Amino acid sequence: MSIYPLALPRRLSVDRVAQASGVHPQLIVRFIELGLVDVQRDSMGRLWLDPDSVARVARVQRLHFGLSLNYAAIGLVLDLLDRIDELERRERSWI
Amino acid sequence: MARDYYEVLGVGRDASAEDIQRAYRKLARKYHPDVDRSPGAEDRFKEINEAYHVLSDPDRRRQYDEPPRAERGFAGTPAEEFDFEDLLGGMFGGGRGRGPGVFMPGADQEAELQLTVEQAYRGGKRTLTLTGPAGQRTYEVNIPPGVVDGQRIRLAGQGGRGRGNAPEGDLYLVVRITPDRRFRLKGKDIYVDLPVSAWEAVLGAEVPVRTPGGQATVKLPPGSSSGRRLRLRGQGMPSRPSPGDLYAEVKIMVPAKPSPRERELFEELAKVSDFDPRRR
Repeated sequence: MSIYPLALPRRLSVDRVAQASGVHPQLIVRFIELGLVDVQRDSMGRLWLDPDSVARVARVQRLHFGLSLNYAAIGLVLDLLDRIDELERRERSWI
Repeated sequence: MARDYYEVLGVGRDASAEDIQRAYRKLARKYHPDVDRSPGAEDRFKEINEAYHVLSDPDRRRQYDEPPRAERGFAGTPAEEFDFEDLLGGMFGGGRGRGPGVFMPGADQEAELQLTVEQAYRGGKRTLTLTGPAGQRTYEVNIPPGVVDGQRIRLAGQGGRGRGNAPEGDLYLVVRITPDRRFRLKGKDIYVDLPVSAWEAVLGAEVPVRTPGGQATVKLPPGSSSGRRLRLRGQGMPSRPSPGDLYAEVKIMVPAKPSPRERELFEELAKVSDFDPRRR
């Protein structure tokens, strides 16, 4: 019989992300609603976030306070920045 | 002492409040650490905010514009009087009645690491100096052999500064390999020219070829025309699980000024041979 190690899922609760990001859990919920952070729902209906959500929340906060952007607009900004990254990467690989 | 605030925002001393606001917004968008990931951008962004903080407030601006009084005991200009962390607190929410506890991890930064093909091939230690949030900083980076263009090397915690107790961001070094006419890279394969003489091409030969790792020998089969590719398996860029290959492309070279004897021999060959490269 083989023994398999138990692997804990790499995911964080809303409260955990809020704590790690230094913001109120309600704000994390707002970010989820705005699609700024990705989320998964388990069979119990609880929300789980990726560990890299903490970095994502920090990015959202920096853009919010640094450029006075509202949270809804930041979704667009993040998408555009990601797209620029992707295009730059693709352009480099053609050379 | 910091740079002149007007200079920082690129406006004249007589600029209106609107001009200052416009200049500030433009620069802030450009140098925000999440938009410009170069290590110098964060400092630039702070400088811009510091300048705007002073010049956007009529009282503070007036104070800044006044030449420092000659009286003793008044050292420095008003610019040095405010606490910069205070300003950041205001900028990042503290001043908006959100209370203390500003906590914001630093942004990730990116810098380019320019390497020659040889350096990328060999890998090894390389020192590089970057101007980051804490001024000039020298890093000794261990480059694994066989890095390819666009690959990123992560220096954990060396990116933008965090606010409060928040962690620093990471610094990513993006590898850029300088194009080299001698060693042309295609993924992990390397293409080189293999100059050979006409007789070597006809009779075959063992020809030395330069690779990024040094010299290698390639066996040129008899009857090789220009453009023929000879593969040296595993002599390309080092890579796991399997390294790339090196392709030597045959390039037949002829003497530009043949000696009389060479000329004679070629003339004889021209007479005797019925080879026509244009006949199919």
